[in-house]
Amino acid sequence: MPMNSIPLALYAVACVRYAMQFSRRTFDTSRAASTWLVLAMLAHTFIIGMETMRAGHLPVAGATSAISTFVWLLALSYLYIEFTTGERSMGVFILPLLVALQAIPAARPMLEERSPLLEGVWFGVHVSSLLFAYASFALACVLGITYVLQFKEIKTKELGFFYERLPSLQVLDEMNLRAVKIGWLFLTVGLISGAIWASQLRATGDLFMSVADPKIFVALLCWGVYSFELYAQRAIGWRGRRAAWLSAGGFGFVLLNVVPVSYLFTTSHTF
Amino acid sequence: MMQVLLVGVSHRTTPVELRERLDFSASGVERALASLAEEPLNHEAIIVSTCNRVELYVCCSEAASARAGVERFISEFHGVPAAEIAPHLYAKSGQDAVRHLFRVAAGLDSLVVGEPQVLGQVKDAYNLAAQLGCTGTLLNRLFPAAFAAGKRVRSETALSEGAVSVSYAAVALARKIFGNLKGRTVLVLGAGEMAKLTAVHMQSQGIGRLIISSRTASNAAALADALGGTTLPWESLGTALAEADIVITATGASEPILSRTLVEQAMKARRPRQRPLFIIDIAVPRDVEAGAGDVEQVFLYNIDDLQAVVQENLSKRSSETAQAEAIVSDEVERFNAWLNSREAVPTVVALRQRFEAIRQSELRRLEPKLAGLGPDARARVDEVTRLIVEKLLINPTEQLKSLPDADTVAAYSDALNRLFNLTADEPPPAADHPALTAAGSAKAAKPGS
Repeated sequence: MPMNSIPLALYAVACVRYAMQFSRRTFDTSRAASTWLVLAMLAHTFIIGMETMRAGHLPVAGATSAISTFVWLLALSYLYIEFTTGERSMGVFILPLLVALQAIPAARPMLEERSPLLEGVWFGVHVSSLLFAYASFALACVLGITYVLQFKEIKTKELGFFYERLPSLQVLDEMNLRAVKIGWLFLTVGLISGAIWASQLRATGDLFMSVADPKIFVALLCWGVYSFELYAQRAIGWRGRRAAWLSAGGFGFVLLNVVPVSYLFTTSHTF
Repeated sequence: MMQVLLVGVSHRTTPVELRERLDFSASGVERALASLAEEPLNHEAIIVSTCNRVELYVCCSEAASARAGVERFISEFHGVPAAEIAPHLYAKSGQDAVRHLFRVAAGLDSLVVGEPQVLGQVKDAYNLAAQLGCTGTLLNRLFPAAFAAGKRVRSETALSEGAVSVSYAAVALARKIFGNLKGRTVLVLGAGEMAKLTAVHMQSQGIGRLIISSRTASNAAALADALGGTTLPWESLGTALAEADIVITATGASEPILSRTLVEQAMKARRPRQRPLFIIDIAVPRDVEAGAGDVEQVFLYNIDDLQAVVQENLSKRSSETAQAEAIVSDEVERFNAWLNSREAVPTVVALRQRFEAIRQSELRRLEPKLAGLGPDARARVDEVTRLIVEKLLINPTEQLKSLPDADTVAAYSDALNRLFNLTADEPPPAADHPALTAAGSAKAAKPGS
């Protein structure tokens, strides 16, 4: 049994607990869900730590291990938000994503065999910035979706399920914007470091990559979407619902890049 | 046997005119408690006096005569003829009184079910009586148990959730849109009573600026003075609209004063753009064109919408009552268990004293035969006999203390009295006995077991 099944199981339990907490609205009294998530995180940290020791570097080079690290980063970012804001209603949206993504490393063996090409500072900066950016965008997506749900109930005057459970529009909007800003920053750093690294490889003649590679293309597309969101917010006041839709939609591209493109379409960018 | 007796009137039984005359808070609860303490039948007393209820909780040994005493006291204290009060008065004793208090504390007996203030009022009443030394073992246990029941109902059910008045519903909505209302700008159009009420609720949320505008400038000025806001000429409505986060309209105008076009313009002019605008239209006929609610980032609620929210919340609350009642029953049962265990204490003590007396007299009778033994052996004999007695008593003691209701306790006590002749005049056990409390002897039994 791959070791990644252990955190998967724990994430699944946490997911169920978050759903129960959400449906019963026991945010104030029950800390069981958060406890399970912390346990899952610890188990996951242990596995990533083991892998790091074995390989001698963070397990981010293979697509599968990168997903595992991404899940870990996302869980960490979510817990950071939960503990700093005390807002626990968002977990029910994040956890299914964690479980779904963690199922991939749990089902496939994690082969962290780094080719000599992938050594060097720029590669490390490139991958870790991008993974962190994607984790931020995942949070922004959840915040966007919850904003739209909350907005719809207030606007149509049907105050129901989500109205009672979700935080205010203002809070969701601000958190969304912050997540997008942080994500955009890391995405930019990730893309620039990737470009530098690729040009180094090209200079030595080891590997040639272009924007025609689907993975690079989609990443640039993401950058375009989130840049537009930040620009629109500043210049034409696209806050609230429109920003929420952009965050929710933008993550579609991110997800596309993390899973199917990595496994199915990529040509030169095989890791 | 001591029990709780409750005598009182509430909004359920008594018109407000009479409740006002019976209100203790006006004439001094302290004075009332002091004179109530002089009544011969009552040992402990607490007076809960709020605008919706006047209830006296006393601890008495005999409910019927105590009730008559309390009724007479209420009538004499307020100078209201007993005959006038009697038809409205209710009296409950024992378990019923306990349940009543727990329901009151949980907000189940309130005019607006689940309202949270009553718990605080009951707490105040208890604290006052406790300070004055009017409470004893029974009420000191009963009231904190009621607070616990109230707290449980609040945290485990949705009985106190959701706004149940139009102005609170408006505030709750505003908080769901803006998070916290600190620093927000509220524009009030019109100067009527409803406008004032909602503005006051908004102010209690710490809003930044209150702007009042009315067709009649003097009315606006008067309201602004009363609430500490600023006024604005009616003509500059457009600019104010662009600045405001929340608009409350409550004018008597027969035509809408805020058209969709006006709101659209205001949304274009506001900075930062796309900042939400929450319009609360509590005027009848409506002050805001319905289409204004379709503008991006504008939330429009009229009086009917708010009332629908209130209705919804009320029905949600009433759907929670069954669960709240279950919690109350649970807590009442817990309190009764304590009460019963207390009922059993005299029997337990008597039983222990009887056993100990027998042990002592047997030891005395054997004294000549034991005289030849050394001090160690004599101590051992004393120890062994004591342990036998303790072990024999462990189970009966525990059983007695966990009996489910007072009647069973009485029956068991009676049986034990007869079986062991506990009430007979025995010469009191030797003076050098250790004090025999139930807890002490249970502890002493442990090392041997």
